[in-house]
Amino acid sequence: MIIVIEPDSDVPIYEQICNQIMEGIARGQIKPGHSLPSVRVFASDLGVNMHTVNKSYHLLEKKGIITIVPKSGAVISSPQDFNESSFNRLKDEFKPLIAESLVVGMTHQQIQNLVTSIIEDFTKNQK
Amino acid sequence: MTLAIFLFISIILAGIQTAIPFLVKRTIIFGITVPEKHIKNEQLLSYKKNYTFIVALVSVIALASYVLWVLVSNPVEEKTVLIGTFIQFGIILFSLSLYFYYHGKTLQLKKKQNWMEQLKQVKVADLSVRSQDEMLSWYVFLLPIVMTVGVIVYTIFQYDLLPNQIPTHWGANGKADRFTEKTPISAISLPLTLLAMQVMFLGINIGKSKSGIQLSATSLNASRNRQLTLRKNSSWLMFGVSFLLTIMFSFFQLTTIHPDLFAGTAMMAAPIIFLVILLTGTIIFAVKVGRADKQSVGEQKEDITDYDEDSYWKGGLFYFNRNDPSIFVEKRFGVGWTLNFGNPIGYIIVFVPLVVIIILSNL
Repeated sequence: MIIVIEPDSDVPIYEQICNQIMEGIARGQIKPGHSLPSVRVFASDLGVNMHTVNKSYHLLEKKGIITIVPKSGAVISSPQDFNESSFNRLKDEFKPLIAESLVVGMTHQQIQNLVTSIIEDFTKNQK
Repeated sequence: MTLAIFLFISIILAGIQTAIPFLVKRTIIFGITVPEKHIKNEQLLSYKKNYTFIVALVSVIALASYVLWVLVSNPVEEKTVLIGTFIQFGIILFSLSLYFYYHGKTLQLKKKQNWMEQLKQVKVADLSVRSQDEMLSWYVFLLPIVMTVGVIVYTIFQYDLLPNQIPTHWGANGKADRFTEKTPISAISLPLTLLAMQVMFLGINIGKSKSGIQLSATSLNASRNRQLTLRKNSSWLMFGVSFLLTIMFSFFQLTTIHPDLFAGTAMMAAPIIFLVILLTGTIIFAVKVGRADKQSVGEQKEDITDYDEDSYWKGGLFYFNRNDPSIFVEKRFGVGWTLNFGNPIGYIIVFVPLVVIIILSNL
């Protein structure tokens, strides 16, 4: 899969990398059990600092999306690992976004349609 | 003979210098990042053509006068060599100054026409590209090292057979023309020099394989193809050079131990064969890599461009980026690699063996 980052964006690079990998998994471009390149390889392919990639990997690990195995690198976890704590964390992260949507005047239906269309976009090319 | 060799090398040198603007990465023109949609800019095309035309013209005039001078005045060999070397450096220096001239012109044009404005600058990486990387493994480079260690051990066992005067320099005709006193160190200094070179090649190969496969966002397939071609072919070329050097050096060393082992003609032919293979290999390498990203891309994205890294490239020639963990990166002007001067590991890989070689040759 292709990772595209914008170094001059307001979103920090490590967050962009993290988001792109999550999107890649959601789209089925990378599958559970596959491993990500080593920090060194990834950083040199992108031409960014190794600490930046390291930071994204740790963020992904904290979210339970990858497991960092010594020697074999970062492996994508299976979705069964989803649990209470991720649910609570996601709820907290959804809250401000949904609040903002309501504040700018989106209706309940519009928000739901938006969520559905994003999910459809992610899953449309999967079999 | 000397004239023929110099002419042969000079023509290839001038040929490559002439063709460089058309062999470099598609989105880098005279060392400047140019967005994909401007690479066919007429002004830029005329810069490239002018550069090529002027370098070709000056090289032809210089080489023709050189040939004429040698044929008419029939100078002594040293003089032919000296002037020949001078002309080769002259061609390199001349094309380099012309490069700087057009580097400045391209930079001005880019600023004046605001090419980067309104384009989103991005960096891309392909997570699966490593599985297509066909560089030679590091352990292949151990083969010539083992051969050299063998030659050193053999020399130590045959120490008594060695002559009292150890040759240290060979002329173009394959005959030794400089000697030094026989000591345990001078006896093996030739294979030791070779060993230092082979260790350097091994280090460079490891360094290159650990370096980034940096792709262009606007021409993913073309740039991926170029990077993979460069990596594969440069590692094969370097292995070929290492292997040929090993054969030639071992051959000289064995001839020093056993003077009658090979015929005089073989001694004469060895360096020339080496030179011909090396230069042919270099041309094939340059053309293969140079053409690897020139097919049409057909995947034009209008609003993005590659991240402008010009500030990391001093003069468009020297890469200095502390953040990039790559040890080597692809050259901007020319075909091949250059050091990331912001990464100290590169200095160790390249300069330590060079210092060892210089020390050995001055013992």
